[in-house]
Amino acid sequence: MTLTAALALTVTGCASLTTSATEVGGVRMGDDRPVRDGGTLTVAFKSDPDKLDPSLGSTLVGRSVFAAMCQKLYDTDAKNRIKPQLAAGMPKVSDGGRKVVIEVRRGARFSDGTRMDAEAVETSLKRHRDLPESARSSELEPVESIEAVGDDKVELRLKEPYEPLLGALADRSGMVMSPRALKKYGKDFATHPSCVGPFRFKQRVTGDRIVLEKDPNYYAASRVHLNRVVYRTIIDGNVRLANLRSGDSQISDQTAPLEVQSALTDDKLQLFNSPTLGYQGLTVNIGNTRGLGKKPGKKNSSLARDKRIRQAFELSLDRSLINKIVFQGMYDTACGPVAPSSELGTKTKCPGRDLGKARRLLRETGAKGRVPVELTISNTVEDMRLGQVVQAMAKDAGFQVKLRPTEFTTLLEHADKGDFEAVSVGWSGRLDPAGNIDAFAATLGSENRSGLSDKRIDSLIEDGRRTADPDERRDIYRDVTRAINDQHALIYLYRQRNYVVATKDVGGLRVYGDGLIRVENAGYVRGSSGSALGLPPVEQGGEVRGDSTEARSR
Amino acid sequence: MTRYVLRRLGQSGLTLVLVSIVVFLGVRAMPGDTARALAGEETNPEALEAIRRQYGLDQNIAVQYARYVENAVTGDLGTSARTGLPVVDGIFDALPVTLELALLSLLLAVVVGIGAGVVAAVRRGRPAEWLANTVALLGLSVPNFWLGIVLILGFAIAVPVFAASGFVPFGTDPLENLRRMVLPVIVLGSGLAAIVMRQTRAAMLESLSADYVRTARAKGLAPHQVVGGHALRNSLVTVVTVLGLQLGHLISGAVVTEQIFVLPGFGKLMIDAVFTRDYAMVQGVVLFTATGYILVNLAVDLLYSVIDPRIRLGGAQ
Repeated sequence: MTLTAALALTVTGCASLTTSATEVGGVRMGDDRPVRDGGTLTVAFKSDPDKLDPSLGSTLVGRSVFAAMCQKLYDTDAKNRIKPQLAAGMPKVSDGGRKVVIEVRRGARFSDGTRMDAEAVETSLKRHRDLPESARSSELEPVESIEAVGDDKVELRLKEPYEPLLGALADRSGMVMSPRALKKYGKDFATHPSCVGPFRFKQRVTGDRIVLEKDPNYYAASRVHLNRVVYRTIIDGNVRLANLRSGDSQISDQTAPLEVQSALTDDKLQLFNSPTLGYQGLTVNIGNTRGLGKKPGKKNSSLARDKRIRQAFELSLDRSLINKIVFQGMYDTACGPVAPSSELGTKTKCPGRDLGKARRLLRETGAKGRVPVELTISNTVEDMRLGQVVQAMAKDAGFQVKLRPTEFTTLLEHADKGDFEAVSVGWSGRLDPAGNIDAFAATLGSENRSGLSDKRIDSLIEDGRRTADPDERRDIYRDVTRAINDQHALIYLYRQRNYVVATKDVGGLRVYGDGLIRVENAGYVRGSSGSALGLPPVEQGGEVRGDSTEARSR
Repeated sequence: MTRYVLRRLGQSGLTLVLVSIVVFLGVRAMPGDTARALAGEETNPEALEAIRRQYGLDQNIAVQYARYVENAVTGDLGTSARTGLPVVDGIFDALPVTLELALLSLLLAVVVGIGAGVVAAVRRGRPAEWLANTVALLGLSVPNFWLGIVLILGFAIAVPVFAASGFVPFGTDPLENLRRMVLPVIVLGSGLAAIVMRQTRAAMLESLSADYVRTARAKGLAPHQVVGGHALRNSLVTVVTVLGLQLGHLISGAVVTEQIFVLPGFGKLMIDAVFTRDYAMVQGVVLFTATGYILVNLAVDLLYSVIDPRIRLGGAQ
């Protein structure tokens, strides 16, 4: 790019605004070009990962780091199917779904050199379930007992049949940690994480970088090409892109549509994308009067009072147009909690915009003048734009939408407490449909911000958790989706796509529906210069932060 | 002088206590619950409660403050709720970065600013003055973030002479360190250089028309002796004052500059901590920065008497 063009880009904000979104092309989750051994790959994240402890971690970027150093009992593939990772095979389920036996992979070692066995799995699962501040405890709550049966088998006893378990074990709840490291560091495990994985933890410099290095103990070390992976946090999308162009980083995570289009103008960059399992939409407060986890009451607002008003509000919105205007047409429209790409997903036809019907419904309710609606949105550029488009569309049907921009953490706090009328909020998605539905739509669900309380939905949710047959479960989740949509309290609007931009000299990268960047088999393609060797380790006071700083640990 | 320093140190201690109280209350007044921010996407009431207990957020605010001060005086500023790493480690990781950025920017501002200011004053009414004024106006008007992105696009991408981001310690690789610091230093130093230039020019114009300069010239001193030894030395008091006052500009400018160039300094640490409601980290960074600010101001005050012996500290005439 010439300097003039670069300056023009700065002045206009983005030179490729006219680029057609169709140029983004279809789904591209991997790159199979042969790569050579060696080199360092630098991945630029949008936000800083939190604690590198599988029991405590709660960020998507943190999950991407785990994907390189903390393997799970199960993993997912490009088609969102579950496959064994640290388990030797799929689990054996008996006793009406109450007994689950998992055989553990033999010959695997943790990064600290100790052997991974059934006892390590038992220790890890118990920690995920029982640690008071564990973010995994609710996922493993139905697990009554966990016991190693010999060296390579773990037996789980469940309080009741619980089909979402496998999906949970394919995420952080299934990560196995070194018992020796857990014993040695306890709650400081996050500063010395030790798991089974292609890379092992080397150092972390607060707010700057996390460095992983190739783990010689890894059971498939011969298939790992890179020497090191460095994760850096670059919040600003333009700066992230500039770093890709300058070669200071090779992969950019969570790239926004406008940035993707800007990246497409550079022939040194390549694009990966995958549909996500999550959703984004509007949550209407119809009964969240006491906060999450409490019995819903009655909310006194226009949208809460009458289902027909909520239906009219939904009918005023055009999902395709929202996608086109706000996201350059680069996301997917959604009208249900289960992604069509999910194994148990079904295609649901989204209701189109119908202003005539919306106005008629409003007339039927006896609404006079414009119906006031307060919509809480996060104060990000995209959400503000979404709010303005919703505001303009709803106005055509007879609504007066007032936007309440709020910083995201505060927005979540208000939403949890029930201090909102309607809020724009989403969910990153889980492999099992139950993970996208149960907590949000069950009467006492831990994420039921809308205060939805419907006996049929509750009953279907219970059925979904207990039914083992995939076809039957698919039908159940299709029915529960219809039942939720019929309440118009959770208005699903769109599904984001994971857009990952990488330099063209990087091969072997994988980007699946769970949103994680997988670098296990990544490397620099043969014949490329692969000049970017990353930053040298930060040495201060003559010591490298990380594994070697035990004296500094608390 | 000793009494003055002791009195100032006492005042500084009191200021720090006040700062710690204000910051402590301030971060807690921020909207958004820390435990909620830490819990992330999922809401698990038991986990939220456990997080509150772990970080003492369930205690009343006076107890929290007392515990904080008790630990702080022993050098323990707490643990980052976000990463689980000690706050002190975060601060000492970030300190060399911000310090180097600030010192180099200051150096740039002093060298360029004073140099241009002197030239503008000496060459009053000539093209040199016009050029210096125009450049200074540009330096003051162009926002840091815009200049930063333009410099990255120009000198890290189009003509890849410098790096777009990151920090490598000088001790590890001096050349690489400079390659990564040049652009941030230009961004942070340019505004300050413009201010210094304008102040130097104004002070120099005043000095050059003063009686003692006329006397010096009449004595037959060489022009460089008149300008450097007499006029400039007297003008420096104003410049040093301005530099002291601009310390805040340097710190706030570093926040933006460090974000653009992904420098792991105080600014970036602070922004990340604020966004993640990392109370301990915000408190630690602010307290540390305030201490630095107070000490530098004290140093500036003491420097007055060194530059101009007519200034006596401690209330003496």
